[in-house]
Amino acid sequence: MTSSTSPVLKFGLRLLAGPAGAVLVMAATFVAAALIFFAINGREALSLFHEMVMGAFGDGYSFSETLVKTAPILLTALAVALPARLGLISVGGEGQLYLGALFGTGAVLAAVEQPGWLLMPLMLTGAMAGGALWGVIPGLLKTRLGVNETISTLLLNYVGVLLVSFVVHGPWKNPNSLGWPATIEFPEGAILPQFFDTRVHMGLIFGVVAAIVLHILVTRSRWGLGLQVSRSNPRVGTTAGISYERNVLIVMAVGGLLAGLAGIAEASVIQNRLQDGLASGYGMTGFLVAWLAGQNFLRIIPLSVLMGGLLASADSLQLYAQLPKASADILQALLFITVLAVSSLWARRRAA
Amino acid sequence: MEIQLYNITKRFGEVTANDGISLDIRQGEVIALLGENGAGKSTLMKMLFGLYPPDEGSIIINGHETLIDSPQKAMSLGIGMVFQQFNLIPALSVLDNLLLAYPKPPFWTFRRLFGAGAPQRKVLAYLEELAPGLDPNTLVRDLSVGQRQLLELVKVLNLDAKVLILDEPTSVLPPQEAERLWGLIRKLSDAGRSIVLITHKMQDVMACAHRVVVMRSGRLIKTLSREDYNEASLVSLMMGDSNRRSEIDTTPLPEVTGRPPRVLIRNLHAHQGVQSIDDINLNIGAGEILGIAGVSGNGQLLLADALVGLASLTRGEVILDGITLHSASQAPKTSERIAYIPEQPAVNAVAGDLSLTTNVALSHFRQLSFFPAWEPEETLTLNIIHRYQVRPDNPALLAGQLSGGNLQKLVVGRELHGRPDLIVAAYPTMGLDAGAAHDIYQALFAKARDGAAVLWISEDLDDLMAYAHRIAVLQGGQVSGLFDPKTSNRLDIGRAMTGEKKTTTEHIPTPAEAHPRTAS
Amino acid sequence: MESFITELLTLLFAALRSATPVLAVVLGESMTQRSGVINLGVEGQMLLGAMTGFAVASITGDPWLGVLAACAAGIALSMVHAVLVLGCGANQIASGVAVLILGGGLSAYYGIPFVGDKIDTLGNLNHTFVSDIPLLGQFLGPITPTVLITLLAIPVISVFLFRTRTGLRWRSTGESLDITRNLGHNPAPYQLAAIAFGGLMSGFAGAALAVDYTANWVEGMTAGRGLVAVGLVIVARWNPWYALPAALLFGASEALNLKLQSWGVDISPYLLATLPYLIPLSVLILSYRGLRASGGGMPAGLKVVFQSAR
Repeated sequence: MTSSTSPVLKFGLRLLAGPAGAVLVMAATFVAAALIFFAINGREALSLFHEMVMGAFGDGYSFSETLVKTAPILLTALAVALPARLGLISVGGEGQLYLGALFGTGAVLAAVEQPGWLLMPLMLTGAMAGGALWGVIPGLLKTRLGVNETISTLLLNYVGVLLVSFVVHGPWKNPNSLGWPATIEFPEGAILPQFFDTRVHMGLIFGVVAAIVLHILVTRSRWGLGLQVSRSNPRVGTTAGISYERNVLIVMAVGGLLAGLAGIAEASVIQNRLQDGLASGYGMTGFLVAWLAGQNFLRIIPLSVLMGGLLASADSLQLYAQLPKASADILQALLFITVLAVSSLWARRRAA
Repeated sequence: MEIQLYNITKRFGEVTANDGISLDIRQGEVIALLGENGAGKSTLMKMLFGLYPPDEGSIIINGHETLIDSPQKAMSLGIGMVFQQFNLIPALSVLDNLLLAYPKPPFWTFRRLFGAGAPQRKVLAYLEELAPGLDPNTLVRDLSVGQRQLLELVKVLNLDAKVLILDEPTSVLPPQEAERLWGLIRKLSDAGRSIVLITHKMQDVMACAHRVVVMRSGRLIKTLSREDYNEASLVSLMMGDSNRRSEIDTTPLPEVTGRPPRVLIRNLHAHQGVQSIDDINLNIGAGEILGIAGVSGNGQLLLADALVGLASLTRGEVILDGITLHSASQAPKTSERIAYIPEQPAVNAVAGDLSLTTNVALSHFRQLSFFPAWEPEETLTLNIIHRYQVRPDNPALLAGQLSGGNLQKLVVGRELHGRPDLIVAAYPTMGLDAGAAHDIYQALFAKARDGAAVLWISEDLDDLMAYAHRIAVLQGGQVSGLFDPKTSNRLDIGRAMTGEKKTTTEHIPTPAEAHPRTAS
Repeated sequence: MESFITELLTLLFAALRSATPVLAVVLGESMTQRSGVINLGVEGQMLLGAMTGFAVASITGDPWLGVLAACAAGIALSMVHAVLVLGCGANQIASGVAVLILGGGLSAYYGIPFVGDKIDTLGNLNHTFVSDIPLLGQFLGPITPTVLITLLAIPVISVFLFRTRTGLRWRSTGESLDITRNLGHNPAPYQLAAIAFGGLMSGFAGAALAVDYTANWVEGMTAGRGLVAVGLVIVARWNPWYALPAALLFGASEALNLKLQSWGVDISPYLLATLPYLIPLSVLILSYRGLRASGGGMPAGLKVVFQSAR
């Protein structure tokens, strides 16, 4: 009897000691933390938790709403993970998202009379250019002057949000909107394609394709090898003929471009126009997801879906349990703290 | 204070660093622990200083067996150690650094308000004795290496140490400063302190040791008193078998001498941070080994970076085979025609979290296809591993998992595997045992015989004088002297290193100049 | 001419009041970074401090209790960073962002019932002897207690850091953990104290903003002041004396923004509102030139932080 169970037990223990154990500990800790948070606030913790899961994945509609939230999270997470492959800590997803929406909308407003086949590419190009711009600026500051990219991207986020406010309150404001600060509604040709009569849109496809392509490039190609070398030891990279400066600009631009796509998708599909409060918080959520995924592009995809679920369920909890929207932020932070703590301890134990 | 080490053994994994060593340290005596790198000298003394526990054996102080389990314990017993790596904080002042190490510093350190008060005078007493005139408010980063070493010594003396352990104290000093240190050591021993001098340099021993303890591969070979040794006997004890220096063939190719120099360094100026080099003019012929001597920090590494294309030039140019490779008007760019063995390869030449194969492939990164094929790279890596006996011999290991010495071998193998036209090697054998160093010299100089130009930066004047065809001395970023090792003596080179006398000695012809070009 | 000087002085003192919360964070974060730890969570700590301070002031009616509660809240939240960074060895930037989001979420969640409340303020120097000083009285009068406390903190911190044994070890901790350990000092208590002090100052900064400066609570009201402060720490070269001009830079940009609007300048208020971010960012960019050339006093331990994030 013992001889047959002990190998199984041993295998189980070994599994627990490895990454699977880490994930299990993380999940358990997070659920406990969330339950405690609900309980402290006098809520029916378990039923609320059940409601959350249902709100995210309970039926087709909830799941489609989850996927709607997934798209911008996925794209902004990629905007963090790609620079991280070069050792850069960019927290600029939020600003890049807003700039993408700003430039994309600019293209739409400029070419509003054009047919869809022309308007759509113009809009997307504008959005990518805007996001890339907000990535290249901190990139240039980094390579030319050595300005820390974390601080510059954080500050530029606020500027990006204010620039959108400026145009929707000012020059681009729809005169017929009765004082509501927003642009005109996007024409039919500037609405990204959606699927199955839901709000799930092309942005999700962009994100998934980008994640897979980036994964292949970064893990298999010479360019990706260059990123790894520069990240590990920039001096060795330079000696081998790998330009750290150029790669900084490339990863910041490509990251910004992806976040920019997220921005225009929100404006085009979700809001149908550019307005204040376009997507508050997606940039930060993307940052969390990228870190949770260990900057691994493929792992970002399912984690974005999970995090999208968390946000979608927070929306439904707001209706069902009058739970403030901020609870989604708190749960995200608890999740992030849990994962950081457990994974760091795990790494430390493995190093010892 | 009398210390006896009795039958000390220390193992690291499979390596026995110290094998049953017994040794006594008497009051007022200077003992030299002599041996090559890796002989186990530092390990032995680190155990006395409480950094590692011995696996076997005991330490007896004044007749009592004593457990020294931490440096704090050692210091409280009156044992102090000055490491090769200084424990100084560059951004803080001399006084702050002394206060940090002082056993019971005053809580308030108002300087200008109360002047140098009584507690402060105590902290600074030894400093004023050893380095009169040094302003205690100077930042440590503005001190020379010699001054930093004095500061470390003051820190140890402030702890009231009776036994001072100095780990390779003269390796970073020019000959003149080393002489001053020897004087200081003699003075301290006259005052009744015991000094253990860890060294691999014969001059240190001859200058001030009362007794010398020779170690080789973890064993104590012999203990000799002053009257019982001479330099030659010590060398053979230290090296074991006969001196290998003469075995390497460094004659340049005969037909090479007829050509113009392969490398022309003209009017080179560059600066990086606080380092700068000014107006460097040097030629290197095909097959020539040009040695660069100098106290570290005098521009050697910047010169290497500038030649390789890692540092931008502010003036001047580098010409290889008649083609301008680097100039002030171009952004710096590396070339695959140049092989570069930088100092501390573990830090400067490999990406620690990538595999050995990947690191080897970096030497020809530009030739890899967009989706690289890894089989040929792995074969190449295995070849290098076998040729240079890199351990462990698994090309899939991460570079960070190898020891510094093994990485050094890997990098040398990687850089020398093709047919480089110029080889820039900075301290290529540092930290290696004599056998491995010999192999590396042989491989390096074989490339010279194949026609490569070699610029070889070293701190070891003996090696330079044994192998280099010419020696250029860098001092303060400038060439302060150019010497023919066959006709120069150490002291002249030493003077050039300290800049004591601007020795623009007699012009030494390069091979090309010596043999005017004939119609070829 | 006289009116011009009056305008200028008004602007300067307005800048000082609006700079105070930022100054407090710069001082706290400088001390944290001097020990080799960077904490981006100050933004979240500031928000939680602002909310807690405002709520306690509103419930008890005593704004001073609010200030104390804000300090406590700042310290409490900073301990999350301490546990993650010192306890678990997590990446400092990531941990800081986690604290930032947690602080934002908690303050928004628990602050809802207090939105729109009225509280008693801490008062100011009007109707004291100060406001009777000829000429300057009119400018000194509106100065509030948090401004004075923050200004007073500058010499105190400076003396502590540069003239005491504890301050010396604090700085050596930030320069090199290894050397500090080799010298026989345990760096952990210093880093813990440094994070806690940063928490205290950012919580206090929140109170200075919500209880004192605006007497109001709005979700996310710090609007990046904490993050601007982290940037200004670099401008201030980790030196408490330079923190004042650096923070005034933010205060002046904000005061200028409001002033220009009150003058009816025909620029969108949203564009003007970018000034408090763009001006500190520009100065940060300029000061990086000097930082690159000289090393600029960045605690060497921080370089390790930025590199280990690679």
